[in-house]
Amino acid sequence: MESAIKTVVTTYLSSTKGKENLNGGGFQKLVKNQLGGLMQDTNCSSAVKEMQSGLDANNDGKVSFQEYLTLIGYLASSLSASKTGATADAS
Amino acid sequence: MPSELETAMESLIKVFHRYASKDGRSGTLSRRELRELMENELSNFLLSQKDPAAIDKIMKDLDTNGDGQVDFEEFVSLVVGLSIACEQCYQTHMKKQGKK
Repeated sequence: MESAIKTVVTTYLSSTKGKENLNGGGFQKLVKNQLGGLMQDTNCSSAVKEMQSGLDANNDGKVSFQEYLTLIGYLASSLSASKTGATADAS
Repeated sequence: MPSELETAMESLIKVFHRYASKDGRSGTLSRRELRELMENELSNFLLSQKDPAAIDKIMKDLDTNGDGQVDFEEFVSLVVGLSIACEQCYQTHMKKQGKK
């Protein structure tokens, strides 16, 4: 579990390339490379842009670490819900 | 093939459900399940898990709906909190390295 947390953190940090926040291009790349299996339309730049503005709580046009964690939390919750739903159906 | 980030998320979900299904209501962590999870999975990150008062406090902080159980969404706040702490640690570490 600790290594999973480390991956979540280092994935973000390696995408920011030393800057404090993730800009639009970096976010596009992160979503496309890391979340293509979970989400649809990761290749569609306008869809990713829309998602980015949805995450951008402080409206600075960038994705902060906190805003990135909002996305991860949301994805993990829906993934968990769909998994438990699937096992309930199977039993 | 799932990416690193997707694998990490999947393992967080698996860990949660492995502990959550141990006793009582499955799908949520009781106080005992939370303690076991912290003892076994977070032994390097947290040193306070031997302290029952600290577990109580973490449990209370996480349990936002006050039902005495930690559901997955509440567990995510723990992960977020740990990630933020981990990120800050990393930044300080990088700054230190930069100075040298």
